[in-house]
Amino acid sequence: MASSRVLSLTRAHRLALLSSRRWLSSHPLAEVNPCEVGMISGIPEQHLRRRVIIYSPARTATQQGSGKVGRWKINFLSTQKWENPLMGWTSTGDPYANVGEAGLDFESEEAAKAFAEKHGWEYEVKKRHTPLLKPKSYAGNFKWKGPAN
Amino acid sequence: MGLGLLASRLIRPQKTAARNLLLRSIVTKPELQSAEPATTPQPDLPPRTPLAGARVHFPNPDDAIEVFVDGYPVKIPKGMTVLQACEVAGVDIPRFCYHSRLSIAGNCRMCLVEVEKSPKPVASCAMPALPGMKIKTDTPVAKKAREGVMEFLLMNHPLDCPICDQGGECDLQDQSMAFGSDRGRFTEVKRSVVDKNLGPLCCDMIKLGRVLWGIVKLLGVQDLGMLGRGSGEEIGTYVEKLMTSELSGNVIDICPVGALTSKPFAFKARNWELKGTETIDVTDAVGSNIRIDSRGPEVMRITPRLNEDINEEWISDKTRFCYDGLKRQRLNDPMIRGADGRFKAVSWHDVLAVVAEIAHQVKPEEMVGIAGKLSDAESMMALKDFLNKMGSNNVWCEGNGPSPNADLRSGYIMNTGINGLENADVFLLVGTQPRVEAAMVNARIRKTVRGSNAKVAYVGPPTEFNYDCEHLGTGPETLTEIAEGRHSFCSTLSNAKNPAIIVGAGLFERSDKDAIFSAVEAIAKNGNVVRPDWNGFNVLLLNAAQAAALDLGLVPESSQSIESAKFVYLMGADDVDLEKLPNDAFVVYQGHHGDRGVYRANVVLPASAFSEKEGTYENTEGCTQQTLPAVPTVGDARDDWKIIRALSEVAGVKLPYDTVGAIRSRIKTVAPNLLSVEEREPATFWASLKPDATQKTSSTPFKAAIENFYMTDSITRASKIMAQCSALLLKK
Repeated sequence: MASSRVLSLTRAHRLALLSSRRWLSSHPLAEVNPCEVGMISGIPEQHLRRRVIIYSPARTATQQGSGKVGRWKINFLSTQKWENPLMGWTSTGDPYANVGEAGLDFESEEAAKAFAEKHGWEYEVKKRHTPLLKPKSYAGNFKWKGPAN
Repeated sequence: MGLGLLASRLIRPQKTAARNLLLRSIVTKPELQSAEPATTPQPDLPPRTPLAGARVHFPNPDDAIEVFVDGYPVKIPKGMTVLQACEVAGVDIPRFCYHSRLSIAGNCRMCLVEVEKSPKPVASCAMPALPGMKIKTDTPVAKKAREGVMEFLLMNHPLDCPICDQGGECDLQDQSMAFGSDRGRFTEVKRSVVDKNLGPLCCDMIKLGRVLWGIVKLLGVQDLGMLGRGSGEEIGTYVEKLMTSELSGNVIDICPVGALTSKPFAFKARNWELKGTETIDVTDAVGSNIRIDSRGPEVMRITPRLNEDINEEWISDKTRFCYDGLKRQRLNDPMIRGADGRFKAVSWHDVLAVVAEIAHQVKPEEMVGIAGKLSDAESMMALKDFLNKMGSNNVWCEGNGPSPNADLRSGYIMNTGINGLENADVFLLVGTQPRVEAAMVNARIRKTVRGSNAKVAYVGPPTEFNYDCEHLGTGPETLTEIAEGRHSFCSTLSNAKNPAIIVGAGLFERSDKDAIFSAVEAIAKNGNVVRPDWNGFNVLLLNAAQAAALDLGLVPESSQSIESAKFVYLMGADDVDLEKLPNDAFVVYQGHHGDRGVYRANVVLPASAFSEKEGTYENTEGCTQQTLPAVPTVGDARDDWKIIRALSEVAGVKLPYDTVGAIRSRIKTVAPNLLSVEEREPATFWASLKPDATQKTSSTPFKAAIENFYMTDSITRASKIMAQCSALLLKK
């Protein structure tokens, strides 16, 4: 009794495994062609033909920590904003105005590119600038650097 | 043994992580229960990557040593500190006084780590890493040390975070959350300090620790110092002095706490409300990388961002504080000057029809187009194409002089590169004062002078440098002397390993420009300045538009075209001498500010500023960069190139591009280097191909190219902060 239950359990697991593995690799329905996500998502067409910039935000100049450095973001070049006369708040006519800043964040350049391709956006990738570590020492403060001019 | 356990044993995944994620069953690990100790996990560890993707510079590849950070072996060049070794190993050490671009102060003690066989915790920023050192950054000893230091640092720190400008992007705030104690033992009264007046840019609020040690090193002015001792110690300027440096704004970035904050930004916005747009600066020819922080439709502040080749992590005060000029004196609507001399706002449709009609009434050779200091490559291309289609070739960019040399690229860019200046050991500045013309280039020269004792000599009007500088003379005759080998400086130049000559673009305006350049080229030849492995011949440009204009061939057909012009198209050109322009000439001013150009204009077309458009700019070293829009345009303004494109259609000479991509592919046919963004394109041919100049040098001494560092273009001239700066800081 017990052994049969174990067997059925394992079979169920194996099935789940198999199906999930297939879904991950090459299920015909799961294949994503460029622009397709946008087409079925109901996003207005004008927003599917946008130009976006993929970039990796630089470290905040006032801070030294590196926790947020190295992520990739999408800039939607969204500047359709105005100060609403009613309350003085900022209004926007662009549904993507706050998405790039707050909502989208990628581990790698490739992931961001793939996302943009999926939505059919024309993208441009900005080079990421990295610091150059040069040896320096405390003793260098007191080093004699030759005669003064 | 339970059933579930048995089941999970049976279907235990065979060491694949992916399956483990899918199957969320309970798994036992018999190897953990076994008595024998686990083998060291080192072979399985993924290699650690340096913090923030940093590249490690090995001055001598043989001198690499290996240290262990938390058990991970890392290879570092000899001479690095323990803190740097940790950075290479991807471990962020908390720090306050250490800044990667300043010399090591070693006084905040926040970076304490444990080093094996060391009896006490070690201040990692000041301790050189030694071969085989075993550094432990996450042990109870290190944690306790940090907590103790944190408690001392917070002792006199006010509890102002909710109203402090630094709140939200403060190292002290973050690090006290991560490493500090959850309660304080300090019951005495906290010390308070009165606000100090450091000039119009920075305000000094509360001091923490002794973190400002390194600031003096960067600025090169000994204005900021420590007064008093112990708890009575304060930061201050000596004897009522204001901070007078063109880089003083950078202390705001260096200061890890809210002790020094930006005065124009003070209490205006909180940093989490801001949207950052990574773009570039156009107020000088350096093209510093900046981030424009905006809230809604308004630019709130400008901060630097990292670019090792151009501005490292600094920007000049002009760049940082000019942004209030973007909100004042803006042109909102297209306007036509009526018979009474007053401007009247009209629609785009009407104004373009008027301009097109008048453009067709004049002869082609009477048309002149002048691009301004802040013009991007796209609009200059459109302007040139439009005028060429109308039959005129009198188009140039202001600042390039009456007869610019656009044939040899080496004759107008910085061939060494801004970063390359650090390898030079002798500088000869000809008619240039980099301190006001390009403050970031001056910072590089100063870094080189301080770092390797490079010698600097200068030919030009008397001025003040913030490093030792030998004043050789004031005019072209000194150059002739050096070129002919009669000057004492010749021996210094010929003994130098990597000499660099920097010629100011202010000389472009002189009538004897060609003679001066051939004298400088003779000096370069005698001093062996241009070699296959080193090109020390540099031209330091003044404006953001200059290099791209010359690359695109914006060269006037005749240098006398202004005198006979009947139709002048000023595309943001405010500093052109229009004295000689005939009174009946029709002037169109297209730009974003009501500045000098508008006084003479008959028609005003509002355009967008650099913070509102996408534009390509080439900096003085020939590196192409692009701006990105951060805020919406003001009023009914449009992008420069779009206005010209629309005008061309109304005038019946339709330009064949209507997207940024299309105009960029047009640029590609003229200057392909303007499309390789963030790449420095070096010049191919050296100026020796040039025919010999027949000109004679005049004896007029060189003039200063920039009178007022703070006010050089329409944006900075509209800025209130810049006006305060020039009133206070340039006071004689």
